[in-house]
Amino acid sequence: MTPPRLRVVPVAESGAFYAAAEKIYPREISGRFSRMRQGAVIALLGLFYGMPWLDWQGHQALLFDLPARKFHIFSLTLWPQDFLYLALLLIIAALSLFFFTALAGRLWCGYACPQTVWTELFVWIEQWTEGTRSRRMKLDRGPWTVEKVLRKSLKQLLWIALAAWTGFTFVGYFTPIRTLGAAITGLSLGPWSTFWVFLYGLATYGNAGFLREQVCKYMCPYARFQSAMFDKDTLIISYDEARGEPRGPRRRGTDARTAGLGDCIDCTLCVQVCPTGIDIRKGLQYECIACGECIDACDDVMDKMGSPRGLIRYTTEHALHGKATRVLRPRVLVYSALLLLAGGVLLYSLFTRMPLILDVIRDRNALYREVRGDRVENIFALKVINLDDRPHSYLLSAEGMQGLELIAPVAPIVVAAGSVSNIPARLDAPTSRAAGVHHIALSLTAVDAPGIHVHEKTRFIGPTP
Amino acid sequence: MALSPPPPHEAPRRPSSLDIALVVWPSFLAACVASLLFFATVDPELLRDAGPRLLAGLDREAGYALGFLFFWAIGALASTLSVYLIRTDRPQKRGAGRGAS
Repeated sequence: MTPPRLRVVPVAESGAFYAAAEKIYPREISGRFSRMRQGAVIALLGLFYGMPWLDWQGHQALLFDLPARKFHIFSLTLWPQDFLYLALLLIIAALSLFFFTALAGRLWCGYACPQTVWTELFVWIEQWTEGTRSRRMKLDRGPWTVEKVLRKSLKQLLWIALAAWTGFTFVGYFTPIRTLGAAITGLSLGPWSTFWVFLYGLATYGNAGFLREQVCKYMCPYARFQSAMFDKDTLIISYDEARGEPRGPRRRGTDARTAGLGDCIDCTLCVQVCPTGIDIRKGLQYECIACGECIDACDDVMDKMGSPRGLIRYTTEHALHGKATRVLRPRVLVYSALLLLAGGVLLYSLFTRMPLILDVIRDRNALYREVRGDRVENIFALKVINLDDRPHSYLLSAEGMQGLELIAPVAPIVVAAGSVSNIPARLDAPTSRAAGVHHIALSLTAVDAPGIHVHEKTRFIGPTP
Repeated sequence: MALSPPPPHEAPRRPSSLDIALVVWPSFLAACVASLLFFATVDPELLRDAGPRLLAGLDREAGYALGFLFFWAIGALASTLSVYLIRTDRPQKRGAGRGAS
């Protein structure tokens, strides 16, 4: 048996549960994975900052209009009644996270998590204002010179501006962003919008500027339970201990094997570039957000030393042990089946969504009244909600009882796009047939689109027999 | 029955920044979920109209924000109790049953 090469290292091997966090100065690095990460940062943040400015058919394309309690997603308008879609969407998001974690490890952490993405942006500003890793460390150690004050102030200024813009953009998803912008420049922003802009701005500044990797280490629940989705075929970033050890410095051109050394030259670059400050050579650790920076750093060194790349690489535990890696395994199949099911239900219900709701409430004042001598009348309050993005006229009809007649409304009910119309309805039936309680149904059909049709059950009440 | 004073190593300690984070953060997440579920089904204006006079004059935006802060406060109360109970527990108790090491 090969001894297991991957060890999971607990939070602090010293036994202390919480050690005062040392400031981490991630070293700048370029390579395949940093480029991928930069691409993800630009794409995701571009989407975040740009999306609220996109208009669609005369309104903001993506607007979760909380004051009006309507969600606009391009042509689709969702109402509180459509809560099912939101629930399904959340289930799909959770299942996707499980699926991708089982398949490729912590892809989410390394490339898509807002914490990673905004931290990356804040670190770019830091590198631009304060320089490289070594310069930043020197600057922090050194006295408060004019240059230090200037550099630090510029960094803070840019950070605060970015955080404020982020807060503004965030609120722009819930209040039309152009109105919001006009309110800010006109100094007429409401107290609650101000509160949310500040809260989100502050959270961005604190999380991406100061807390950074501590969010992943101490605050993120996913970091703690993601290992439950892992198995020996999950893609992980790992140091090839068999190839690297024993590590040690050597002169360029030295043959490692004759010197009794492995391929690791112990340059510690993999540690210096790590945004969470871990040593990947100690094995798989839950602090690892799988960003791949250490791979880029190590590949560079391996190129310089003339050794093959991949001393630190994306691999699986099975591959490290010389076994075959299976992609399609029960865990992956179960997750993808569930994902397909939830996605199918969502799509099906979206495409078969009836853009019309009819609420029927019986009149509270009188159960029935006798009219025209030989008939009994019931009154109902109708609430017609047109969920469609264009106006419709609807015809009401009633059935379910012999001699039942619709008195009003007989003319089409006109309801504007995305509006609610409250109207009374009157039904009557011959007294001779009306005694007792009768189960009836009201139907509403759009005149211009017979496919838009709802059916609502209610009761018709006559004199006690 | 008199309670003996806690041994020095168990002396009450000031809340650390981790304690504060353990209270503020999970309750924030819970408040997000609670607000989402609650306000997806309940319109704050209905609450205002049915509630005490104190709420009169508040609009939906105020309702959402106050609701969120309310959920956050309740969550923070629960988290505070959890952290407090964990921190004031005798350390040896947790080892009991698993054998002392």
